[in-house]
Amino acid sequence: MKNLLYLFVAVLLFSCNSKEKKDTKKSHLLAENKEIRTYLYGSFVGYSMIEERDTTKPMIEENAATINILIKRITESEVIAQRIIDGKSKPIKGQMRKTGNTFYFTLKETGDPKNDGVFNFEIQKDTTLVGTWTANDPTRGVTKRKFILRKREFKYDPNLMLPEGDMYIDYENPKKVEAEEQEQEETEKDSISDEEDYESPSELFRAASGAITTINSSTTKLNESQLKNLKKLDLEILRNTIFARHGYAFKSSTVRQFFDFVPWYVPISENVDAQLSETEKQNIALLKRFEKYAEDNYDSFGR
Amino acid sequence: MIQITWQYIPFRNDVAFLQIKQTEISEIPFYLVFFYTHVYSAIFVLLAGFTQFNSRLLKNQPVVHRNIGKLYVFTILFLSAPSGLFIGVFANGGFYSKISFVTLSILWFYFTLKGFLTIKNKNIALHKAFMYRSFALTFSAVTLRFWKVILVYLFQPSPMDVYQIIAWLGWVPNLLIVEYYLYNQSKK
Repeated sequence: MKNLLYLFVAVLLFSCNSKEKKDTKKSHLLAENKEIRTYLYGSFVGYSMIEERDTTKPMIEENAATINILIKRITESEVIAQRIIDGKSKPIKGQMRKTGNTFYFTLKETGDPKNDGVFNFEIQKDTTLVGTWTANDPTRGVTKRKFILRKREFKYDPNLMLPEGDMYIDYENPKKVEAEEQEQEETEKDSISDEEDYESPSELFRAASGAITTINSSTTKLNESQLKNLKKLDLEILRNTIFARHGYAFKSSTVRQFFDFVPWYVPISENVDAQLSETEKQNIALLKRFEKYAEDNYDSFGR
Repeated sequence: MIQITWQYIPFRNDVAFLQIKQTEISEIPFYLVFFYTHVYSAIFVLLAGFTQFNSRLLKNQPVVHRNIGKLYVFTILFLSAPSGLFIGVFANGGFYSKISFVTLSILWFYFTLKGFLTIKNKNIALHKAFMYRSFALTFSAVTLRFWKVILVYLFQPSPMDVYQIIAWLGWVPNLLIVEYYLYNQSKK
């Protein structure tokens, strides 16, 4: 009987013990999973520049790439973020540590070891993100990039417009490639008239009209007469401005060249179809129809 | 031109030029009817017209000349010119192109009618003169599109700017050339 009592007490004690253990484990897990510094969440947007590259290889001309680091979740043990460069988004994971008032982050890209790298950055005064990206593969053309990014809140605002006064020129698609080549041949033959042979940008590249900064394709239901005198590039920009307002991360460099420098543009999403308003959907359909007409008919024999 | 007509077969309300005419199609009754009357009839006028200045045909087969001529005249008077006037009123490019197309259709009707009436009165010289004028305007279907290609190639203007210009450039120079030719003939 005594023995039985001991056993009972022992079992009781044991069970009590294990319960306590579980609790501490749980609370430890909770502390680890607890989100902290949530005020740092959000988009940090800016440009990245080449810091180190393989100098034995020829320099590849590249546009300053817009980079968006979107911090989604911070806990004691883990930081989950997303980086969007050139319209391509990728999750990045790692840790954060704090020294003084500055937070240091080390976040790794995953999935493509050949092209992936590591982000090292600090966030100063909660608003400025300064750091570098280092390639995993040291034989790459560009091994290190640096960037200074500013916190930019993404908020859908249908009233946002492309800034006026800027030139919207499609540098990605020169329209007279053949003429250009011919000219190069000529300049080789005759080096004196070298400078005269340069064409102005407007002759070589498609330039958009002022309409793209005055017509709002998100708030006004567009009609045919507003669009008839617009060229294909205008129509394309008007349509893509709708997607830009929704934070769509453009994949085509032709489109990105117009929006990367727009102060309010925050590329955060790879699909915004569900967010489009009814007006926007109708405008997109109308603009597409006009784009097709422009494509098929603008420079061909017909009307 | 046959190819251009061909894109409207089978009958549809949203192809080619009509892609930017959906407002007119939905708001203006009978727009589509007049549009298709014009498209389908004008191609016969153009083809018929080409045969009529062949002097060998006129000499050897006067009946053929007369019959094709009647087809040309009646198609313009009853189908192509009235429908041209109607769609001209709703033309792209605003006031300047509208007034051009409306004028064009009225002159087209007038010259063709005069060409027909003069030959009924056996006045061959006047018949010839008016039919030259009539066909100069018929042929604007080709020259208008031809000018468009040239202007777009040279200057890349906005679509409706180009349209306002070709609306006039399509037929006025044609008519001037014919008038100049008739003036020289009359001096001989």
